[in-house]
Amino acid sequence: MGRQPIGSPYVKAQKTRAYFKRFQVKFKRRREGKTDYRARTRLINQDKNKYNTPKYRLVARFTNKDVTAQIVHASIRGDIVLAAAYAHELPRYGLEVGLTNYAAAYCVGLLLARRVLKQLEMDTEYEGNVEATGEDYSVEPGETRRPFRCLLDVGLIKTTTGNRVFGVLKGALDGGLDIPHSDKRFAGFSKDSKQLDPEVHRKYIYGGHVAAYMRTLIEDEPEKYQSHFSEYIKRNIDPDNIEGLYKKVHAAIRADPEAKKSEKEPAKEHKR
Amino acid sequence: MPAGHGLRSRTRDLFARPFRKKGYIPLSTYLKTYKIGDYVDVKVNGAVHKGMPHKFYHGRTGRVWNVTKRAIGVEVNKQVGNRIIKKRIHVRVEHVQPSRCSEELRLRKVKNEQLKAEAKAKGEVISTKRQPEGPKPGFKVEGATLETVTPIPYDVVNDLKGGY
Repeated sequence: MGRQPIGSPYVKAQKTRAYFKRFQVKFKRRREGKTDYRARTRLINQDKNKYNTPKYRLVARFTNKDVTAQIVHASIRGDIVLAAAYAHELPRYGLEVGLTNYAAAYCVGLLLARRVLKQLEMDTEYEGNVEATGEDYSVEPGETRRPFRCLLDVGLIKTTTGNRVFGVLKGALDGGLDIPHSDKRFAGFSKDSKQLDPEVHRKYIYGGHVAAYMRTLIEDEPEKYQSHFSEYIKRNIDPDNIEGLYKKVHAAIRADPEAKKSEKEPAKEHKR
Repeated sequence: MPAGHGLRSRTRDLFARPFRKKGYIPLSTYLKTYKIGDYVDVKVNGAVHKGMPHKFYHGRTGRVWNVTKRAIGVEVNKQVGNRIIKKRIHVRVEHVQPSRCSEELRLRKVKNEQLKAEAKAKGEVISTKRQPEGPKPGFKVEGATLETVTPIPYDVVNDLKGGY
């Protein structure tokens, strides 16, 4: 039993040496709070009679200012990323503001899907859903190759209806990937009627919810509108042309989904 | 009440997880692939209750004869009475490890192929057979001075201490 050094009251130390000797640390990524191993074992586990066939997962993660979508498969030496798409690439396609909203998430999913299909030379065969209608769309098998199949990996978020990860999912589906899903968690699914309202979902895909908020702010609190949507105003994005903006972004993504290597200057040599 | 001889009887310690290794099992167990004909060790993981082999097979090594969705068929030798039977069991992958028993053979095969190829290129004939350890080679002892030792006559008076 350890005691505090002289000077403090007579307190028995809570974490004795014995405690530390018996303490079993959790896995590192669990300690960091980044990986849910229960979900991960189930996502990675491949049938043994499929030997080395990779099992791909669509990893969708959100940070405060960015969206990351990756197609990953696991290996003993570490996970291998087949393709990745980020929201900070969207300015290249014409979208500079609102990079973490539902519509942007849809764009990232779409970009990733087109990128992967182009990489695997399947993009002409699997066009996906060119006009986003918000309805539930599943890829049909093509002539020569089976569609690219992956599983959605949400990470640690709560899978509530209308979550942005499902925006990424919808974007990837419309891009032409085969991902098992149900429309229960898409924005616009109503619990009462147990049906997805494609109109509402379509509104979210094209940023309609953002536009609606902009309209209410313009009417009720114009100063707040100026401060909150200042970047939108700077780029002349009104509530009315938001939908057109996203349509253009979708088209630009489909036209050229390839990743562009960023030019980085060689690291500065520091004199020790 | 008598002890009972159930399936998992007497396995309190055998199937227990090692100290500070409880809880989630590392994912590399699920990522390993097994082909028919591989040698595997059967080592029960008490954390996974499905597909556990009987405690007899814990620590046995056998060959893979079947691969299913989540389990592996292993053929293990078991002595029953006066003969050894090859028993075929199915075991989930969590209770199986790839065996290193043939690792030395595989490495040696690769090395021998390489040595033979080199010798063929040079045109010499080599034997890649392993040789058992022979007797130690002879050696000369350095810096030795010879001292000849002869027995001295037994002298009663001197050798008996303190007299008769």
